[in-house]
Amino acid sequence: MISARSKKRLGHAVDFMALTAPAIIVILVFVELPFLMSVAYSFTKWNGLDKVPQFIGLANYRELFTDDPDMAHAFVFTIAFTALMVLLTNVVAMLLAVVLDGGIKGRNVLRAAFYLPNIISLIIIGYVWRFIFSKGFDSFLNATHAGIFGLSWLGDGKLAFFSVLAVSVWQSIGFYLVIYIAGLQTVPRDIIEASLLDGVGSGTRFWRITLPMIMPSVTVCVFYSLSNALKSFDVIFSLTSGGPGTATTSIALDIYKTAFGAGRFGYGSAKSVLLFLLIMVVTVLQVTVFKRREVEA
Amino acid sequence: MSRFASRVLTAAMFVIAAVYLYPLFLVVINSFKTFAEITTNVIALPTRPNLDNFKNAFTLMQYPNLFVNTLLATAIGTSGVVLLSSAAGYKLSRTKTRYSWLVLILCIAPMMIPFQSFMIALVKVARFLHLTKTIYGLGIIYWGLGAPLSLFMYHGFVKTVPKELDECALIDGSSSLRTFFAVIFPILKPVTVSVVVLNAMWMWNDFLLPLLVLSGAKKSQTLQLAAYNFFGQYKIEWHYAMAGVLLTITPAILFYLALQKHIIEGMVSGAVKG
Amino acid sequence: MKKAVFALSLLLVVGALLAGQSGVTLKVMFYSPELTTQYNDMAKAYQAATGTTLDITVLQDDYKTVLSARLNSGDIPDVFMSSAYADNATYKDYIYDLTGQDFIKQLEPTALTGVTVGGKVTGYPFLVQSHSFIYNKKIFADAGIKTLPRTISEYEAACKKLTAKGIQPFATGFKEWWVFPQTAWQVLASIKDSYGGDYAKFVAALDSGALKFKNIKEMTNVFDMLDLIKKYGGPKPLESDFNDQCASFAAGKVAMIHQGNWAEDSIKKSNPSIDIGYLLGPTGGSAAKAGIMFDSNQTIRIAKDGANRAAALAWLKWLTTSDYGKKWIPEKINQLSPIKGAEASSATLAKETVSLLAKGTPSYPWFYQRFPAGAEQGLGTILQGYSAGQTNRQQTLDQLDALYTKLAKAQ
Repeated sequence: MISARSKKRLGHAVDFMALTAPAIIVILVFVELPFLMSVAYSFTKWNGLDKVPQFIGLANYRELFTDDPDMAHAFVFTIAFTALMVLLTNVVAMLLAVVLDGGIKGRNVLRAAFYLPNIISLIIIGYVWRFIFSKGFDSFLNATHAGIFGLSWLGDGKLAFFSVLAVSVWQSIGFYLVIYIAGLQTVPRDIIEASLLDGVGSGTRFWRITLPMIMPSVTVCVFYSLSNALKSFDVIFSLTSGGPGTATTSIALDIYKTAFGAGRFGYGSAKSVLLFLLIMVVTVLQVTVFKRREVEA
Repeated sequence: MSRFASRVLTAAMFVIAAVYLYPLFLVVINSFKTFAEITTNVIALPTRPNLDNFKNAFTLMQYPNLFVNTLLATAIGTSGVVLLSSAAGYKLSRTKTRYSWLVLILCIAPMMIPFQSFMIALVKVARFLHLTKTIYGLGIIYWGLGAPLSLFMYHGFVKTVPKELDECALIDGSSSLRTFFAVIFPILKPVTVSVVVLNAMWMWNDFLLPLLVLSGAKKSQTLQLAAYNFFGQYKIEWHYAMAGVLLTITPAILFYLALQKHIIEGMVSGAVKG
Repeated sequence: MKKAVFALSLLLVVGALLAGQSGVTLKVMFYSPELTTQYNDMAKAYQAATGTTLDITVLQDDYKTVLSARLNSGDIPDVFMSSAYADNATYKDYIYDLTGQDFIKQLEPTALTGVTVGGKVTGYPFLVQSHSFIYNKKIFADAGIKTLPRTISEYEAACKKLTAKGIQPFATGFKEWWVFPQTAWQVLASIKDSYGGDYAKFVAALDSGALKFKNIKEMTNVFDMLDLIKKYGGPKPLESDFNDQCASFAAGKVAMIHQGNWAEDSIKKSNPSIDIGYLLGPTGGSAAKAGIMFDSNQTIRIAKDGANRAAALAWLKWLTTSDYGKKWIPEKINQLSPIKGAEASSATLAKETVSLLAKGTPSYPWFYQRFPAGAEQGLGTILQGYSAGQTNRQQTLDQLDALYTKLAKAQ
């Protein structure tokens, strides 16, 4: 005889399963299971093709931490790229949002214009910009004779960093702009008006009133941009293939080259596990810190 | 600010926007040029704009067929993600037990896993489940890949919906699933819009997963794959490539412009409150 | 009644068998997308001849990734493509041994060197190719270059004459990592002389760590040549890719590119009347050793576990013995065929390769394909970094050695 209470508990459990099971199942099967398989491969020496991988314990991880200058280089590149990318996208997007929210005409058209690059697939963006940096810049140089077009934006290691950064920012700003505009619209008008009446300067108004009120948007935007920048692959792949040499190789690109270029699948899997842990640590830290800021504001 | 300052600022913004979109402008004008014209000067306007490049690209890419394929994969993927993640996101948000918190982490953590790290194993699993080489299979795989982020967005949004609303609906004790879709789901419309848009855009533009899953299935290719093949096959023929690019990105742009208002609203409520 | 049913079912079975035979579809994975039209033409011809369909997937940059994914998941293509030499080991679990197949006897023995391991023929050589510096004859004549360069200093002299005439000497191709192995290792090609003429011994020495790049004094020549090409490669040497090489060369904007006979098609498409030829590459520091690189590297493999192996072998036989098959490479692809007695292609570089070989010009196999898997791209990228100014010569040599050791261990 089942008690009424257990029946209720069972009912709750079935309820819970009915709504959550489908999602859990697809996530487990299509993401977590394959990832666990990759983690298993990270303890092997495998070229991705041999029918039987060879178990080698922690050797891959040991090599990764002690003997991989390419990875060290990719790590530095990715951190630098991420820091600048997050900073630039968020600052510029917020600035544009403030300007657009300031009551100028044609705001919707402008917002659509800035969002457009975000709609295009990253592979296509890479090819289009390759075209522009090569053929386009040649034509610009002929037309304007401005030295800046004569520089080797994709061929010089240091310049290529900025080219890749610029294209990535160009492509993603629209997305964050929309979120910031929306965030700004949640700031109650009466507070703004009150501050105007009090004679508060626009700079102070922004820092003391507006910014704290849109912190939730900032948290979200920084979270997305951080996680995307750490994983960056597509734009770099089609723009420079990580070159020249390894000048613009991000961690994700290094993983791809290790696993598929060099045929070192086991080693590549170890690197992926590392990337995952890095992203997890950084994003969890970031969200925790920002959420605390939100509450205080 | 003063009327004058406002006008100056507006003008400046339009100039900035024009410069910002200049690369796309270049794609457009070059797709109307002949090959010779492109090699001589990229920034000049076409002397005799013609649609030849488009006609060629259209046929070579097998556009109509691939358009339908891409649309189908996107539709199946997006609708599945919406249904699965709305239900789960809602339930996890309302259930405040230790287990539900664990399940939540389990469902959201995948957002941090970079695709390259598990894609080969994914293809293996997909093939085992007979999901490779078909558009339907691709759509189903997208459910798993899109659910984490969408679930996170629903979860956040539901927190802002007063509990009384669903408690009302559940009084008559009808099955929770039916109640959910009949009563709760409509309330989630704002975030559903943003989930739909985010997923649709991503799936429409996706490249790597279709490349791996649909390899060898000629009839099931997507537009992005065709554009990619185009670049490989016609490496030097920029005029075809540009036309191909334009044909591929136009549907996405039209979709965006048509639904702009809803998209923004949706993104706003979903993302901001998340 | 019973008899009718029996007859009918017999007919059905036979019909099914026959339909099964002619309705076979071979799953094929190739790269070199510039040959897609020729691949499709050949497939059409084969289907008309035998009823077997060739379902060909053509990729380039992602070829290896997709092939790995398919092989791993059990979706094995009946026919696929790979390099020769080191790839014999990479794909060993999937390759069908072709030794003893009668069509193999129809192939030139030299073409089979790259695919033969321990007496076994592991693949079918698809194309025989050559590479070296390709030059524009008219530009050279106009610049007053009468003797063709064969050593680095002669190349430098030629570059000076070209620059004096306002012509950019090279389109470097340095944006592509693979231009580096083909250029750099050509300069090193005579290294076999230190190993009794045996490249296998040379590579074995590198593999075991007994020999290091930093101890190979000929590496100086390699760096010198890369430096020369960069110096005379225009304002943006690291941005020039394969497209740029073919386009600017065809348009007469540059005098030389380092490429192979496979580039001729792209060049002639832009400029059908251009007069081109091969320059002998500066090998081993002496004019007598200057030569071209000649080998069969692009290889067709038959999958051991492919579902339609018999049909795949039948296709290879047709490719080797039928009229269409024998003419396919020389006439449609315009390159050199591995088949004995194949007609000469009308392509300039292909013809020139044949005549150079007939004259006894030094020709070197693509020995660098023997390096461990992943070395071609890995070492190429390091050399690209050198040309981009990221490392100096000593650092580059150290990096080459470090990477080589890793890859040799990972084999």
